[in-house]
Amino acid sequence: MVVSILNGFAIGFLLFVLAVGLSLVFGMMDVLNLAHGALFLGGAYLGAALSGGWGGFLTALAVAAVAGALAGGVLSLMTEPLRNRTHLDQALLTLGVALVVAELLIMVFGDDPLSVDAPPGLDGSVTLLGAVYPSYRLVIIGIGAVLALVVWLVVERTRVGALVRATVADREMVATLGVDNRLVKVAVFAVGSALATAAGVLGGPIYGARPGLDAAVLILALVVVVIGGLGSVRGALVGALVIGQVDTFGRVLLPDLASFILFAALAIVLVVRPQGIFSGPVGAR
Amino acid sequence: MSELSRRRMLGLIGAAATVPALAACGSSLGGGSTAPTGAGGARAIKVGLVVPKSGVYAALGTDMQAGWELWLAQHGGKFGDVTVETVVADEGETPQTGQPAVQKVLQSDGVDVVVGIVNSSTALGVANLFTESKKLLIVTNAGAADVTGKARTPYMWRTSFANAQVSAAMGQHLAASGFKDGVFAIAPDYAAGSEVIAGFTKAFEAGGGKVVGTVKPAFGKTSDYQPFLTQIQQSGAKATFCFFSGAEAITFVKQYAQFGLAPAIPLYGSGFLTEGSVLKQQGAAAMGVQTTLHYSDQLDNPANKTFVEAYAKANNGASPSVFSMQTYDAANVLNRALQTSGGVDGDALSKALGGIGTVDDSPRGPWTFDGQNPRQNMYLRTVQDKGGTLVNAIVQDLGPQSQPA
Repeated sequence: MVVSILNGFAIGFLLFVLAVGLSLVFGMMDVLNLAHGALFLGGAYLGAALSGGWGGFLTALAVAAVAGALAGGVLSLMTEPLRNRTHLDQALLTLGVALVVAELLIMVFGDDPLSVDAPPGLDGSVTLLGAVYPSYRLVIIGIGAVLALVVWLVVERTRVGALVRATVADREMVATLGVDNRLVKVAVFAVGSALATAAGVLGGPIYGARPGLDAAVLILALVVVVIGGLGSVRGALVGALVIGQVDTFGRVLLPDLASFILFAALAIVLVVRPQGIFSGPVGAR
Repeated sequence: MSELSRRRMLGLIGAAATVPALAACGSSLGGGSTAPTGAGGARAIKVGLVVPKSGVYAALGTDMQAGWELWLAQHGGKFGDVTVETVVADEGETPQTGQPAVQKVLQSDGVDVVVGIVNSSTALGVANLFTESKKLLIVTNAGAADVTGKARTPYMWRTSFANAQVSAAMGQHLAASGFKDGVFAIAPDYAAGSEVIAGFTKAFEAGGGKVVGTVKPAFGKTSDYQPFLTQIQQSGAKATFCFFSGAEAITFVKQYAQFGLAPAIPLYGSGFLTEGSVLKQQGAAAMGVQTTLHYSDQLDNPANKTFVEAYAKANNGASPSVFSMQTYDAANVLNRALQTSGGVDGDALSKALGGIGTVDDSPRGPWTFDGQNPRQNMYLRTVQDKGGTLVNAIVQDLGPQSQPA
């Protein structure tokens, strides 16, 4: 039981790091970025290529964050001409990018599944309340919690965050105040994408790196965003933790319905609270 | 009614139109090989080696081709006095790529015999092609029961294994070694996974054992096994039997150790769990995992020692896998069959294969064809560290085993 709860948190916090960028970009700039999963996979492969020690792990994290930020900037520029078009056009463009990136990753890293070792000292297990649990996953819980706090503080308590929230609420009004909201968009896109690639590196020792992983995590991230509500850090956090627990406990308690239970949770949220748990009227458009 | 017959009519016309085209194709491309073989006794034979060169099974394809080439290199590229010409084609991952590859070597390359095939669906899908062309296929991996069972044709033989054959050996062993009152079985939810679990359960229960739980995680979609591992712990199982391969084998074995199950509930599996390239990726987590298989490069017999040595020399020091050995043996049995067949057509070769008796110089130890699948010894293996490299060390010879009925 303890193990399942812990694991729900580990998966949940990892999902949060992945999904918060998607949520902000979608909620704020109204851009549906389907290349988000490909960014995660890029990070995972980077982690696999550099795995083997603390040096490699930290280098992978740093390189992934920078590369992710650059990729986010490029994606932001690419979607700029489509800003007045429908979500479908953005989805097509970013889906195309996702497919190209996935294929490039196969060309570079091959299509054999790769396993990634946790950094030395974290690849073992610890005993907690009589249950054995992998120490790396405990660290993920810690890192996820810290990142959640940092992102929340930045968005809710700083001037930059106020600008971001204002842009979520009313883009035109922010523009009339003399702020170039294209810059805000590029910045949010870059940070969101950097978080996605970093999540890939962090998730490597749990999920490994393999073709097809991009689509799997993208769907999870979209479910998190829908459950939590668009453009809300709190929403992404609660959505991710709920999905983490539902997914873990669902498989333990109702193994036969495991693949269905995640989407059952999604359906319930959509029926009861279509705008998501934490998206108030402010975020609605 | 008229609609149907008109469609059928069109189909017939279409089929009729392709026949001359294919015939022309065969005579222009395959003519070189059919002429000498046709004229009294075989002097040359053209073999299509259809193995994965791309996709998730590419590593298996590399091993298989190396096994095939090693046998030929050791025998001067000949089966007796018959010169062998090999045409390699890429099976890919699925029947969508595998079937066209088989079709290509049969029709445009005009080969006499096809060797290879990793994917069971591909093997089952091409069965008809061989029945129609009356040519021989030697399957050197695909383990579905139907290949030499329900979908049997006289032209399809197998030098590898049947899925349930491997797991039945483990079922008997666990029932006889103190795990009667509780084993948990887990394998991915697809055809091979189901065959492995069924074979295990039947043999284990026949030996008086009790399966305390069975679970089949979604195939190719599961990367976190924690929920299943918790289920295993709660079931009160004394041991776990599993079957995974590729990425899933790596993930499952690592997580089984990380979540602390390994010391309390020993892990047993079908040999593919720790065979080939996955073992290195599993690392220390695989230590002590016990599996059954019809081969290990650690087998102590003269034929295997020579085989392992020669294989390493030809492949930059690499160790042969069970996949290399199965394809090596395909060349061996083809050679034996050709001594008595008097021809390279499917009927002659099939008849000759039925009479080759015991293959006494195989690296896996002596074996015979029982039906069209090997009756071979199964070995209990355990993962050990041997001078810094993980190997599947032999614990026990579990005796000969046929494809379970």
